[in-house]
Amino acid sequence: MGIVIAVISGKGGVGKTTATANLGLGIAINEKNCIVVDFDIGQRNLDMILGLENRVVYDLVQVMDGEAKLKQAIIKSKVNENLHFLAASQSKDKTVLESKKVKKLVAELRESYDYVILDSPAGIESGFEHTIEFADAAIIVVNPEVSSIRDADRAIGILDSKSQKVKNGEEVAKYLIINRISAEMVQSGEMLKSEDILNILNIKLLGKVPEDRGVIDASNQGKPVILNKKSYAGQAYTRIAGRLCGQKVDMKDIEISDTGLFKKLKGMFK
Amino acid sequence: MKSKQYSVKVFETTITDEEKFIKFFDTNYALFKDHLILIQGTLSKDIRAYLTKKPLIFLHNKTVPIGRSRKALESELNIQKIENDVNQQIAQEEIKKLSTRLQNNLTVLDRIIRSGQELDIEGDLLLLNRVNSGATIHTTGNLIITQVVEGALRCDGNFMMITASPKANVIFHGVEVDNNLLADKLNRVELKKNQILITPVIKKEINWEL
Repeated sequence: MGIVIAVISGKGGVGKTTATANLGLGIAINEKNCIVVDFDIGQRNLDMILGLENRVVYDLVQVMDGEAKLKQAIIKSKVNENLHFLAASQSKDKTVLESKKVKKLVAELRESYDYVILDSPAGIESGFEHTIEFADAAIIVVNPEVSSIRDADRAIGILDSKSQKVKNGEEVAKYLIINRISAEMVQSGEMLKSEDILNILNIKLLGKVPEDRGVIDASNQGKPVILNKKSYAGQAYTRIAGRLCGQKVDMKDIEISDTGLFKKLKGMFK
Repeated sequence: MKSKQYSVKVFETTITDEEKFIKFFDTNYALFKDHLILIQGTLSKDIRAYLTKKPLIFLHNKTVPIGRSRKALESELNIQKIENDVNQQIAQEEIKKLSTRLQNNLTVLDRIIRSGQELDIEGDLLLLNRVNSGATIHTTGNLIITQVVEGALRCDGNFMMITASPKANVIFHGVEVDNNLLADKLNRVELKKNQILITPVIKKEINWEL
Protein backbone atom coordinates (compact mmCIF):
# COMPACT_ATOMS: atom_id res chain seq x y z
CA MET A 1 0.00 0.00 0.00
CA GLY A 2 1.53 3.24 -1.15
CA ILE A 3 1.10 6.83 -0.08
CA VAL A 4 -0.88 9.30 -2.18
CA ILE A 5 0.52 12.84 -2.26
CA ALA A 6 -1.23 15.76 -3.95
CA VAL A 7 0.94 18.64 -5.12
CA ILE A 8 -1.05 21.87 -4.82
CA SER A 9 -0.43 25.61 -4.80
CA GLY A 10 -3.59 27.65 -5.24
CA LYS A 11 -1.89 30.14 -7.51
CA GLY A 12 -0.73 29.10 -10.94
CA GLY A 13 2.79 29.28 -12.26
CA VAL A 14 4.62 28.72 -8.97
CA GLY A 15 6.21 25.47 -10.08
CA LYS A 16 3.79 22.70 -9.14
CA THR A 17 4.37 20.66 -12.26
CA THR A 18 8.14 21.14 -12.16
CA ALA A 19 8.16 20.07 -8.52
CA THR A 20 5.99 17.03 -9.30
CA ALA A 21 8.28 15.91 -12.13
CA ASN A 22 11.46 16.38 -10.12
CA LEU A 23 10.15 14.78 -6.94
CA GLY A 24 8.76 11.84 -8.92
CA LEU A 25 12.11 11.27 -10.55
CA GLY A 26 13.94 11.89 -7.27
CA ILE A 27 11.85 9.24 -5.51
CA ALA A 28 12.45 6.83 -8.41
CA ILE A 29 16.21 7.45 -8.14
CA ASN A 30 15.87 6.44 -4.47
CA GLU A 31 14.68 3.08 -5.80
CA LYS A 32 11.05 3.48 -4.84
CA ASN A 33 8.27 2.53 -7.20
CA CYS A 34 6.65 5.82 -8.12
CA ILE A 35 3.91 7.09 -10.42
CA VAL A 36 3.18 10.71 -11.25
CA VAL A 37 -0.35 11.53 -12.41
CA ASP A 38 -1.30 14.72 -14.20
CA PHE A 39 -4.67 15.89 -12.89
CA ASP A 40 -4.55 19.16 -14.79
CA ILE A 41 -7.08 18.01 -17.35
CA GLY A 42 -7.28 20.20 -20.43
CA GLN A 43 -3.90 21.80 -19.76
CA ARG A 44 -1.48 18.93 -19.50
CA ASN A 45 2.17 19.84 -19.12
CA LEU A 46 3.74 17.16 -17.01
CA ASP A 47 4.35 14.93 -20.06
CA MET A 48 6.51 17.63 -21.64
CA ILE A 49 8.56 18.30 -18.54
CA LEU A 50 9.21 14.56 -18.16
CA GLY A 51 10.06 14.33 -21.84
CA LEU A 52 7.31 11.80 -22.50
CA GLU A 53 4.94 13.80 -24.68
CA ASN A 54 5.40 11.67 -27.78
CA ARG A 55 4.61 8.49 -25.90
CA VAL A 56 1.16 9.37 -24.60
CA VAL A 57 -1.47 7.08 -26.13
CA TYR A 58 -4.22 6.82 -23.56
CA ASP A 59 -4.98 9.33 -20.84
CA LEU A 60 -6.43 9.43 -17.36
CA VAL A 61 -9.97 10.24 -18.47
CA GLN A 62 -10.05 7.31 -20.89
CA VAL A 63 -8.94 5.02 -18.07
CA MET A 64 -11.60 6.38 -15.71
CA ASP A 65 -14.28 6.02 -18.40
CA GLY A 66 -13.23 2.45 -19.09
CA GLU A 67 -12.11 3.16 -22.66
CA ALA A 68 -8.58 1.99 -21.85
CA LYS A 69 -7.01 -0.23 -19.23
CA LEU A 70 -4.80 1.30 -16.59
CA LYS A 71 -1.86 -0.84 -17.76
CA GLN A 72 -2.21 0.46 -21.31
CA ALA A 73 -2.21 4.09 -20.21
CA ILE A 74 0.73 4.02 -17.83
CA ILE A 75 4.01 5.11 -19.42
CA LYS A 76 7.34 3.92 -18.11
CA SER A 77 10.08 6.53 -18.03
CA LYS A 78 13.21 5.91 -20.11
CA VAL A 79 15.35 7.78 -17.60
CA ASN A 80 14.50 5.63 -14.60
CA GLU A 81 12.57 2.38 -14.66
CA ASN A 82 10.98 3.07 -11.25
CA LEU A 83 9.22 6.16 -12.58
CA HIS A 84 5.81 5.84 -14.20
CA PHE A 85 3.50 8.42 -15.66
CA LEU A 86 -0.21 8.78 -16.32
CA ALA A 87 -1.14 11.67 -18.61
CA ALA A 88 -4.06 14.05 -18.36
CA SER A 89 -6.52 14.42 -21.18
CA GLN A 90 -5.82 17.41 -23.35
CA SER A 91 -9.14 17.53 -25.18
CA LYS A 92 -11.53 17.41 -22.23
CA ASP A 93 -11.84 19.81 -19.29
CA LYS A 94 -11.80 19.54 -15.51
CA THR A 95 -15.55 18.96 -15.21
CA VAL A 96 -15.24 15.39 -16.50
CA LEU A 97 -13.79 14.25 -13.17
CA GLU A 98 -16.14 12.38 -10.86
CA SER A 99 -15.52 11.56 -7.23
CA LYS A 100 -16.40 7.88 -7.61
CA LYS A 101 -14.10 7.32 -10.58
CA VAL A 102 -11.23 9.25 -8.98
CA LYS A 103 -11.57 7.18 -5.82
CA LYS A 104 -11.39 3.92 -7.82
CA LEU A 105 -8.37 5.05 -9.81
CA VAL A 106 -6.48 6.30 -6.75
CA ALA A 107 -7.21 3.04 -4.92
CA GLU A 108 -5.86 1.01 -7.86
CA LEU A 109 -2.68 3.09 -8.07
CA ARG A 110 -2.14 2.88 -4.34
CA GLU A 111 -2.14 -0.92 -4.62
CA SER A 112 0.71 -1.09 -7.10
CA TYR A 113 3.01 1.85 -6.28
CA ASP A 114 4.94 3.05 -3.22
CA TYR A 115 4.40 6.68 -4.09
CA VAL A 116 1.48 8.13 -6.05
CA ILE A 117 2.01 11.81 -6.82
CA LEU A 118 -0.92 13.80 -8.15
CA ASP A 119 -0.20 17.06 -9.95
CA SER A 120 -3.13 19.32 -9.14
CA PRO A 121 -4.42 22.04 -11.45
CA ALA A 122 -4.07 25.65 -10.26
CA GLY A 123 -7.03 27.28 -8.61
CA ILE A 124 -9.49 25.87 -6.10
CA GLU A 125 -12.20 24.58 -8.43
CA SER A 126 -13.52 21.05 -8.89
CA GLY A 127 -10.31 19.80 -10.52
CA PHE A 128 -8.34 20.80 -7.44
CA GLU A 129 -10.96 19.34 -5.10
CA HIS A 130 -10.86 15.98 -6.86
CA THR A 131 -7.07 15.89 -6.64
CA ILE A 132 -7.00 16.44 -2.88
CA GLU A 133 -10.10 14.40 -2.05
CA PHE A 134 -8.39 11.02 -1.64
CA ALA A 135 -4.81 12.12 -0.94
CA ASP A 136 -3.03 11.09 2.28
CA ALA A 137 -0.73 14.08 2.21
CA ALA A 138 -0.33 17.33 0.36
CA ILE A 139 2.75 19.20 -0.75
CA ILE A 140 2.04 22.89 -1.01
CA VAL A 141 4.31 24.77 -3.40
CA VAL A 142 4.66 28.52 -2.89
CA ASN A 143 6.81 31.35 -4.18
CA PRO A 144 8.04 33.89 -1.65
CA GLU A 145 5.47 36.52 -2.57
CA VAL A 146 2.21 37.61 -0.94
CA SER A 147 -0.22 36.56 -3.67
CA SER A 148 1.16 33.04 -3.81
CA ILE A 149 1.04 32.78 0.01
CA ARG A 150 -2.56 33.95 0.22
CA ASP A 151 -3.71 31.54 -2.49
CA ALA A 152 -1.84 28.70 -0.80
CA ASP A 153 -3.51 29.66 2.48
CA ARG A 154 -6.90 29.42 0.81
CA ALA A 155 -6.00 26.06 -0.75
CA ILE A 156 -4.92 24.70 2.67
CA GLY A 157 -8.22 25.89 4.13
CA ILE A 158 -10.14 23.93 1.48
CA LEU A 159 -7.87 20.92 1.92
CA ASP A 160 -8.70 20.95 5.63
CA SER A 161 -12.42 20.93 4.97
CA LYS A 162 -12.92 18.88 1.79
CA SER A 163 -10.43 16.04 2.08
CA GLN A 164 -11.86 12.57 2.68
CA LYS A 165 -9.29 11.96 5.39
CA VAL A 166 -10.43 15.02 7.32
CA LYS A 167 -14.05 13.95 6.90
CA ASN A 168 -13.10 10.63 8.53
CA GLY A 169 -11.71 12.57 11.48
CA GLU A 170 -8.06 12.12 10.54
CA GLU A 171 -5.56 14.76 9.55
CA VAL A 172 -4.01 15.31 6.15
CA ALA A 173 -0.25 15.77 6.39
CA LYS A 174 0.77 19.07 4.85
CA TYR A 175 4.27 19.93 3.71
CA LEU A 176 5.61 23.16 2.30
CA ILE A 177 8.06 23.71 -0.53
CA ILE A 178 9.21 27.27 -1.00
CA ASN A 179 10.20 27.57 -4.63
CA ARG A 180 12.25 30.17 -6.53
CA ILE A 181 13.99 31.73 -3.54
CA SER A 182 16.50 34.39 -4.45
CA ALA A 183 19.08 34.71 -1.65
CA GLU A 184 20.00 38.22 -2.72
CA MET A 185 16.41 39.47 -2.69
CA VAL A 186 15.72 37.90 0.70
CA GLN A 187 18.82 39.53 2.15
CA SER A 188 17.93 42.91 0.75
CA GLY A 189 14.46 42.55 2.24
CA GLU A 190 12.68 42.53 -1.13
CA MET A 191 11.54 38.94 -0.76
CA LEU A 192 9.57 37.34 2.07
CA LYS A 193 11.67 35.30 4.49
CA SER A 194 10.93 31.60 4.88
CA GLU A 195 10.28 32.15 8.59
CA ASP A 196 7.51 34.61 7.78
CA ILE A 197 5.97 32.25 5.25
CA LEU A 198 6.05 29.37 7.74
CA ASN A 199 4.56 31.65 10.35
CA ILE A 200 1.64 32.53 8.11
CA LEU A 201 0.90 29.06 6.75
CA ASN A 202 1.87 27.13 9.90
CA ILE A 203 2.72 23.82 8.20
CA LYS A 204 5.87 21.71 8.14
CA LEU A 205 8.70 22.78 5.86
CA LEU A 206 9.73 20.09 3.39
CA GLY A 207 12.35 22.10 1.58
CA LYS A 208 13.47 25.28 -0.11
CA VAL A 209 14.33 25.51 -3.78
CA PRO A 210 16.44 28.39 -5.07
CA GLU A 211 15.73 30.34 -8.20
CA ASP A 212 17.67 28.65 -10.99
CA ARG A 213 17.86 29.51 -14.69
CA GLY A 214 18.54 25.87 -15.44
CA VAL A 215 14.97 24.91 -14.53
CA ILE A 216 13.43 26.48 -17.62
CA ASP A 217 15.97 24.91 -19.94
CA ALA A 218 15.50 21.55 -18.25
CA SER A 219 11.74 21.77 -18.74
CA ASN A 220 12.12 22.71 -22.38
CA GLN A 221 14.46 19.76 -22.94
CA GLY A 222 12.17 17.37 -21.10
CA LYS A 223 14.97 16.44 -18.69
CA PRO A 224 14.00 17.35 -15.13
CA VAL A 225 16.56 19.57 -13.41
CA ILE A 226 17.19 16.95 -10.72
CA LEU A 227 19.30 15.07 -13.29
CA ASN A 228 21.70 18.00 -13.43
CA LYS A 229 24.02 17.41 -10.47
CA LYS A 230 25.48 20.93 -10.72
CA SER A 231 22.18 22.76 -10.59
CA TYR A 232 21.26 24.25 -7.21
CA ALA A 233 17.57 23.66 -7.83
CA GLY A 234 18.37 20.08 -8.81
CA GLN A 235 20.32 19.57 -5.59
CA ALA A 236 17.42 21.04 -3.62
CA TYR A 237 15.00 18.57 -5.25
CA THR A 238 17.39 15.70 -4.50
CA ARG A 239 17.35 16.68 -0.82
CA ILE A 240 13.55 16.96 -0.78
CA ALA A 241 13.11 13.60 -2.52
CA GLY A 242 15.45 12.10 0.09
CA ARG A 243 13.28 13.50 2.89
CA LEU A 244 10.16 12.07 1.22
CA CYS A 245 11.85 8.65 1.16
CA GLY A 246 12.45 8.81 4.89
CA GLN A 247 16.10 9.87 4.90
CA LYS A 248 17.31 12.42 7.40
CA VAL A 249 18.56 15.27 5.26
CA ASP A 250 19.46 18.52 7.01
CA MET A 251 17.88 21.75 5.82
CA LYS A 252 20.29 23.80 3.78
CA ASP A 253 19.89 27.49 4.32
CA ILE A 254 19.84 28.67 0.75
CA GLU A 255 18.81 32.13 1.83
CA ILE A 256 22.19 32.86 3.41
CA SER A 257 24.58 30.84 1.25
CA ASP A 258 25.95 33.31 -1.21
CA THR A 259 26.93 31.44 -4.29
CA GLY A 260 26.90 34.06 -7.04
CA LEU A 261 30.14 34.14 -9.04
CA PHE A 262 30.08 37.91 -9.06
CA LYS A 263 29.82 38.01 -5.26
CA LYS A 264 32.73 35.58 -4.96
CA LEU A 265 34.92 37.78 -7.12
CA LYS A 266 33.86 40.80 -5.11
CA GLY A 267 34.85 38.95 -1.93
CA MET A 268 38.33 38.28 -3.31
CA PHE A 269 39.05 41.96 -3.74
CA LYS A 270 37.86 43.01 -0.31
CA MET B 1 -48.06 27.57 66.63
CA LYS B 2 -51.22 25.55 67.05
CA SER B 3 -54.04 26.31 64.74
CA LYS B 4 -57.34 25.01 63.49
CA GLN B 5 -59.22 25.71 60.35
CA TYR B 6 -62.96 25.33 59.91
CA SER B 7 -66.01 26.80 58.18
CA VAL B 8 -68.79 28.61 59.97
CA LYS B 9 -72.42 29.04 58.88
CA VAL B 10 -73.47 32.62 58.77
CA PHE B 11 -76.97 34.08 58.74
CA GLU B 12 -76.90 37.60 57.45
CA THR B 13 -79.88 39.94 57.80
CA THR B 14 -81.02 43.53 58.04
CA ILE B 15 -83.61 44.44 60.66
CA THR B 16 -86.64 46.40 59.50
CA ASP B 17 -89.31 45.22 61.96
CA GLU B 18 -87.94 44.36 65.42
CA GLU B 19 -90.98 42.42 66.63
CA LYS B 20 -91.04 40.22 63.56
CA PHE B 21 -87.30 39.66 63.96
CA ILE B 22 -87.67 38.50 67.56
CA LYS B 23 -90.56 36.24 66.66
CA PHE B 24 -88.67 34.72 63.79
CA PHE B 25 -85.64 34.02 65.96
CA ASP B 26 -87.70 32.58 68.77
CA THR B 27 -89.33 30.03 66.48
CA ASN B 28 -86.15 29.15 64.68
CA TYR B 29 -83.77 29.30 67.63
CA ALA B 30 -82.87 25.61 67.31
CA LEU B 31 -81.57 26.33 63.85
CA PHE B 32 -79.82 29.61 64.58
CA LYS B 33 -77.95 28.61 67.69
CA ASP B 34 -75.30 27.01 65.48
CA HIS B 35 -75.04 30.06 63.20
CA LEU B 36 -73.12 33.24 63.39
CA ILE B 37 -75.63 36.07 63.07
CA LEU B 38 -74.46 38.97 60.99
CA ILE B 39 -76.53 42.11 61.24
CA GLN B 40 -76.14 44.82 58.69
CA GLY B 41 -77.64 48.28 59.21
CA THR B 42 -79.03 49.58 62.47
CA LEU B 43 -78.96 47.46 65.62
CA SER B 44 -81.03 48.77 68.53
CA LYS B 45 -80.22 48.25 72.21
CA ASP B 46 -83.22 45.98 72.67
CA ILE B 47 -82.20 43.62 69.93
CA ARG B 48 -78.64 43.59 71.17
CA ALA B 49 -79.91 42.67 74.67
CA TYR B 50 -82.18 40.01 73.18
CA LEU B 51 -79.37 38.42 71.19
CA THR B 52 -76.99 38.44 74.14
CA LYS B 53 -79.61 36.90 76.39
CA LYS B 54 -80.59 34.12 74.01
CA PRO B 55 -77.47 33.52 73.65
CA LEU B 56 -76.64 33.99 70.02
CA ILE B 57 -73.28 34.99 68.68
CA PHE B 58 -73.53 37.96 66.44
CA LEU B 59 -71.57 40.56 64.58
CA HIS B 60 -72.70 44.01 63.60
CA ASN B 61 -71.81 45.74 60.34
CA LYS B 62 -68.85 43.51 59.52
CA THR B 63 -67.80 41.93 56.25
CA VAL B 64 -66.81 38.30 56.50
CA PRO B 65 -64.83 36.34 53.94
CA ILE B 66 -67.19 34.14 52.01
CA GLY B 67 -65.79 30.78 51.00
CA ARG B 68 -65.98 29.71 47.38
CA SER B 69 -66.89 26.46 45.75
CA ARG B 70 -64.20 23.85 45.07
CA LYS B 71 -64.45 24.46 41.34
CA ALA B 72 -63.85 28.16 41.71
CA LEU B 73 -60.91 27.46 43.99
CA GLU B 74 -59.37 25.03 41.56
CA SER B 75 -59.64 27.37 38.61
CA GLU B 76 -58.04 30.12 40.67
CA LEU B 77 -55.16 27.82 41.61
CA ASN B 78 -54.75 26.96 37.97
CA ILE B 79 -54.55 30.60 36.97
CA GLN B 80 -52.00 31.19 39.70
CA LYS B 81 -49.90 28.29 38.46
CA ILE B 82 -49.95 29.60 34.90
CA GLU B 83 -49.03 33.07 36.14
CA ASN B 84 -46.15 31.59 38.11
CA ASP B 85 -44.90 29.69 35.10
CA VAL B 86 -45.05 32.77 32.91
CA ASN B 87 -43.25 34.83 35.51
CA GLN B 88 -40.55 32.22 35.81
CA GLN B 89 -40.11 32.16 32.05
CA ILE B 90 -39.86 35.92 31.90
CA ALA B 91 -37.26 35.85 34.68
CA GLN B 92 -35.26 33.18 32.88
CA GLU B 93 -35.31 35.17 29.69
CA GLU B 94 -34.16 38.26 31.53
CA ILE B 95 -31.26 36.31 33.02
CA LYS B 96 -30.38 35.04 29.57
CA LYS B 97 -30.38 38.56 28.18
CA LEU B 98 -28.31 39.75 31.08
CA SER B 99 -25.80 36.98 30.60
CA THR B 100 -25.49 37.97 26.96
CA ARG B 101 -24.72 41.44 28.15
CA LEU B 102 -22.28 40.04 30.69
CA GLN B 103 -20.84 38.08 27.76
CA ASN B 104 -20.57 34.69 29.32
CA ASN B 105 -21.13 32.99 25.97
CA LEU B 106 -17.48 32.86 25.06
CA THR B 107 -16.14 30.95 22.08
CA VAL B 108 -12.53 29.84 22.38
CA LEU B 109 -10.70 28.78 19.21
CA ASP B 110 -7.14 27.71 18.55
CA ARG B 111 -6.84 27.37 14.81
CA ILE B 112 -5.48 29.53 12.05
CA ILE B 113 -8.22 31.45 10.31
CA ARG B 114 -7.06 31.05 6.72
CA SER B 115 -7.70 33.10 3.61
CA GLY B 116 -11.29 32.77 2.45
CA GLN B 117 -12.60 31.51 5.80
CA GLU B 118 -15.33 33.51 7.51
CA LEU B 119 -16.27 33.36 11.18
CA ASP B 120 -19.53 34.82 12.41
CA ILE B 121 -19.65 34.63 16.20
CA GLU B 122 -22.62 35.45 18.44
CA GLY B 123 -21.03 36.70 21.63
CA ASP B 124 -17.38 36.84 22.60
CA LEU B 125 -14.45 35.26 20.83
CA LEU B 126 -11.04 34.36 22.19
CA LEU B 127 -8.78 33.32 19.33
CA LEU B 128 -5.36 31.93 20.15
CA ASN B 129 -4.07 31.86 16.58
CA ARG B 130 -3.43 33.98 13.51
CA VAL B 131 -5.96 35.62 11.22
CA ASN B 132 -4.44 35.43 7.76
CA SER B 133 -4.86 37.87 4.94
CA GLY B 134 -8.18 37.27 3.17
CA ALA B 135 -9.98 35.86 6.24
CA THR B 136 -12.95 37.59 7.89
CA ILE B 137 -14.18 37.55 11.49
CA HIS B 138 -17.34 39.15 12.82
CA THR B 139 -18.37 39.12 16.49
CA THR B 140 -21.36 40.65 18.22
CA GLY B 141 -19.44 40.55 21.50
CA ASN B 142 -15.91 41.23 22.63
CA LEU B 143 -12.94 40.04 20.64
CA ILE B 144 -9.53 38.98 21.88
CA ILE B 145 -6.91 37.69 19.46
CA THR B 146 -3.50 36.79 20.84
CA GLN B 147 -1.65 36.58 17.52
CA VAL B 148 -1.22 38.81 14.51
CA VAL B 149 -4.26 39.81 12.48
CA GLU B 150 -3.78 40.31 8.77
CA GLY B 151 -7.38 39.78 7.69
CA ALA B 152 -10.59 41.69 8.22
CA LEU B 153 -12.28 42.13 11.63
CA ARG B 154 -15.71 43.46 12.44
CA CYS B 155 -16.45 43.75 16.17
CA ASP B 156 -19.60 45.16 17.78
CA GLY B 157 -18.76 44.32 21.39
CA ASN B 158 -17.58 46.48 24.25
CA PHE B 159 -13.90 46.01 23.54
CA MET B 160 -11.25 44.35 21.39
CA MET B 161 -7.74 43.23 22.32
CA ILE B 162 -5.70 42.72 19.18
CA THR B 163 -2.44 43.14 17.31
CA ALA B 164 -2.97 44.12 13.72
CA SER B 165 -0.52 44.27 10.88
CA PRO B 166 -0.72 47.14 8.42
CA LYS B 167 -2.52 44.75 6.04
CA ALA B 168 -5.47 44.22 8.39
CA ASN B 169 -8.85 45.88 8.04
CA VAL B 170 -10.34 46.52 11.48
CA ILE B 171 -13.86 47.87 11.89
CA PHE B 172 -15.14 48.57 15.41
CA HIS B 173 -18.83 49.54 15.71
CA GLY B 174 -18.87 50.48 12.04
CA VAL B 175 -15.81 52.71 12.28
CA GLU B 176 -12.57 51.81 10.58
CA VAL B 177 -9.66 51.81 13.03
CA ASP B 178 -6.32 53.19 11.89
CA ASN B 179 -3.83 50.33 11.69
CA ASN B 180 -0.97 52.54 12.82
CA LEU B 181 -2.64 52.71 16.23
CA LEU B 182 -2.71 48.90 16.45
CA ALA B 183 0.97 48.28 15.84
CA ASP B 184 1.87 47.47 19.47
CA LYS B 185 2.02 43.90 20.66
CA LEU B 186 -1.46 44.03 22.18
CA ASN B 187 -3.88 46.92 21.93
CA ARG B 188 -7.17 47.55 23.68
CA VAL B 189 -9.86 49.18 21.57
CA GLU B 190 -12.97 50.24 23.48
CA LEU B 191 -16.01 52.42 23.18
CA LYS B 192 -16.30 55.14 25.84
CA LYS B 193 -18.83 57.95 25.64
CA ASN B 194 -19.27 57.43 21.91
CA GLN B 195 -15.54 57.66 21.36
CA ILE B 196 -13.21 54.90 20.32
CA LEU B 197 -10.33 54.67 22.74
CA ILE B 198 -7.15 52.80 21.84
CA THR B 199 -4.55 51.97 24.50
CA PRO B 200 -1.50 49.76 24.08
CA VAL B 201 -1.57 46.93 26.63
CA ILE B 202 1.75 45.33 25.78
CA LYS B 203 4.27 47.54 24.06
CA LYS B 204 6.21 46.40 21.05
CA GLU B 205 9.53 44.79 21.84
CA ILE B 206 12.48 46.78 20.72
CA ASN B 207 14.44 44.94 18.07
CA TRP B 208 18.11 45.52 18.82
CA GLU B 209 19.24 43.74 15.68
CA LEU B 210 18.59 46.73 13.47
